[in-house]
Amino acid sequence: MTELLLLPPAIPMIVGGFLLPFFPKRMRSGAFLFFPLYSLFIVWTLPAGIHTIIPFLQYDLVLASVDKLSRLFGVIFCLTALTGGIYAFHLNDRGQQGAALVYGGSALGVTFAGDLLTLFIFWEIMAISSTYLVWARRTVESEKSGMRYLLVHLFGGSALLAGILLHLQTTGNLVISRLEYNTGLSSILILVGVGLNAAIPPLHAWLSDAYPRATVTGAVFMSAFTTKSAVYLLARLFPGWEILTLLGVIMALYGVVYAVLANDIREILAYHIISQVGYMVAGVGIGTELALNGTAAHAYSHILYKSLLFMGAGAVLHTTGKSKLTELGGLAQAMPLTLWLYMIGAFSISGFPLFNGFISKSMVVSAAGKAHIEWAYLLLTLASVGTFLHTGLKLPYFTWFGESRGLQPSAVPINMHIGMAVVAFFCTMYGVAPGLLYGFLPFDVTYEPYTIPHLVEATQILLFTFVAFWMLRGKLAGEPLIALDTDWFYRRPAPWSRRLIVATTDRLFSFVEEKAMEVALSLSRLARNPFNLFRSSASGPLEDYDPDKERWPLGFFVGAVLACIVVIAGSSLFR
Amino acid sequence: MKRWHWIALGLLAVASFVTELLTPHDPAHAAHWWNTIPGFYALFGFIGCVAIIVLSKWIGMLLLQRREEYYD
Repeated sequence: MTELLLLPPAIPMIVGGFLLPFFPKRMRSGAFLFFPLYSLFIVWTLPAGIHTIIPFLQYDLVLASVDKLSRLFGVIFCLTALTGGIYAFHLNDRGQQGAALVYGGSALGVTFAGDLLTLFIFWEIMAISSTYLVWARRTVESEKSGMRYLLVHLFGGSALLAGILLHLQTTGNLVISRLEYNTGLSSILILVGVGLNAAIPPLHAWLSDAYPRATVTGAVFMSAFTTKSAVYLLARLFPGWEILTLLGVIMALYGVVYAVLANDIREILAYHIISQVGYMVAGVGIGTELALNGTAAHAYSHILYKSLLFMGAGAVLHTTGKSKLTELGGLAQAMPLTLWLYMIGAFSISGFPLFNGFISKSMVVSAAGKAHIEWAYLLLTLASVGTFLHTGLKLPYFTWFGESRGLQPSAVPINMHIGMAVVAFFCTMYGVAPGLLYGFLPFDVTYEPYTIPHLVEATQILLFTFVAFWMLRGKLAGEPLIALDTDWFYRRPAPWSRRLIVATTDRLFSFVEEKAMEVALSLSRLARNPFNLFRSSASGPLEDYDPDKERWPLGFFVGAVLACIVVIAGSSLFR
Repeated sequence: MKRWHWIALGLLAVASFVTELLTPHDPAHAAHWWNTIPGFYALFGFIGCVAIIVLSKWIGMLLLQRREEYYD
C-alpha cells in the first residue's frame, strides 16, 4: 500500500501547485503545507536506488534516483518549502502560492532526476515558475526584472540542452554521472548552463537583479532552490574540476565587494548568496570527500539561514514598505522579535559557534587547508569576514539601530514569526548537535568542528571584524546609488539592440510592404487597361478600359494579324 | 555599545589569546605558516575588514556606482 504512495518526490508538489488555485481561500494556505510534507515523507521513505522509469524513444527517463546526496538535498528542499509556506500563510494570491509549490517541486525533480533529459525538463519548469514569483510583485520594475530573469535563464537552459545533446551524441547515454575533466564543447556548455544557475560570475547578475524585486515571500523560496539545485548538480557532474576552486573563491569575494556597495537590504542578502555559494562551488572544485561533504553540508545550512535572513528582511519590507538602508533605521523598538530571529540567521551565516554556519562552512575551508590550497583557505576566511560585516553588522545596524527615520511599521503577521522561529530552531539545533547533519552526508568522513584552535580562530576573527566595523561604520551607511554589475552588458545596450533588431526590422518590413502595395496597385491598373503600358502618365491621367474608345486601334491590330494569317495561309496553298 | 559591552568583548579577546598560547600546536594540524603567528586571526579579522570596506568603496567610487535612475 505504501509503495503506491511513493510517487517521484517532485510529483506531489508540482501537482499540488496546479491544484492549489482551486482550493477556497480559507483552506488554501493550509493545503499548501500538505504537499511539501507529502514530498518529505516520500524523500524520507524511498529506498536508495532507481525508481519510476519511463521509456521515452529508446531512452529510459528516471524520475527518482535516490542516494545519500540527493536525499540530503531533497530533505532540505521539502523542509524549506514547508517553512516558507508557514511564512507565507497570510498570503491570498493563488498564482503566487501555486507557482511557489511548482517551483519547489521542480527543484526536487532536478535533484532526483536520474538522466539528463528529465533533469532538463524540470530545469525549465523551475525557471518559469520562479519568474512568476518576481512578476507577482506587480510593479513595473519587477515586471522588467522578471523578464530579464526569464530570458537569462532560458539562455542558460539552452546552453544546458545543447550540451546534453552533444554529450548524448558523443557518449550515447544520458546518465547523470561525473564528467571526466575535459574541455570538450559538451562539458563546457553543460558547465555554462549549470554555472549560470549557480550564479558563477560573470553569469550571476540575474540573481542580484531579480531577488530584491521579487515578492516578500517569493524571495524566500528563490533564495533556496535555484542556486542550490545547481550546486547539487555541480557536485554530481564536476567534482574535482579545479577551475571551480578558483571560480568559487572569486564568487565568495565578489559578493562581499558588492554587498558593501548595495543599499537595498535584500540586495545585500542576494550578493551574499553569491558569496556563500562560492564556498560550495570551491568545495566541488577541491573535490575531496571532506570537501564534497562540506559542499553538501553548507548547502543544507545555507538554505536554512538564508531563508531566515530573507524572511527577516521581508518582514521589514512587508511592514514598512521600505527596503533601502537610506530609508530604514531605528526599528529595533518596534520589531524586537523580528530582529532577534534575524540575528540568529546572521549568527549562523557568520559562522558563530553553536550555529549551523560554523559547522558547515568550516568543513569546506578545512578541506582547502587539508588539500594544501592555502590561498583558497585564506581568501575564503577573508570572505567570511565580509559575511559577518554585512549580514551580521551593516544590515541589522542600519535597519534596526542607527538613525531613526520615524517609520511606523505595521504588525508583523504572526505566521511570519512562526516560520522564522521554526527555521531559527533548526539553525541552532544543527549548530549545537552537528551529528544530526553529519550522519546524512554523502561520504563517511569524521570531522570535528568544535576544536580549541577552531574556536579560537572564530572568536578572534569575529571580535576584530566587529571592532573594525565599529570604527568604520560611518563609511558603511547606505548610499542612494546603484553599483553596475555584469547585467550592464545586456541592460545598457538594450535600447540600441531594440532599435537595431526591432525597429530596423519593422522599418524594413513596412518599406517592403509599401513597395509591394505600389506594385500591386500599378499591376491592377495595368490589368484593367493594358494599353496604359504604351501611354505615359505625362500625357494626362491614365484611363480605365473603354471598349468604344479602343475599338478602332484594337480592330486594326486584330485585322492586321488576320490579314497576315490569310496571306501566309494563301501563299502556302498556292505554292 | 555600553561600557560593559566593551569590557566583555575585551575579556573574550584576552581569553582567546590565552587559550591560543596555552594550546600546544599539533604539527599535524598546524600545517600552515600562519599558525605559528600568535593572534594571527585577530589581525586577519581586523585588517581584512578594513581592507574590504576601503577597497570596495574605492572600486565603487572609481568604477561602479551610478545614480539610481541610471537604467531608466
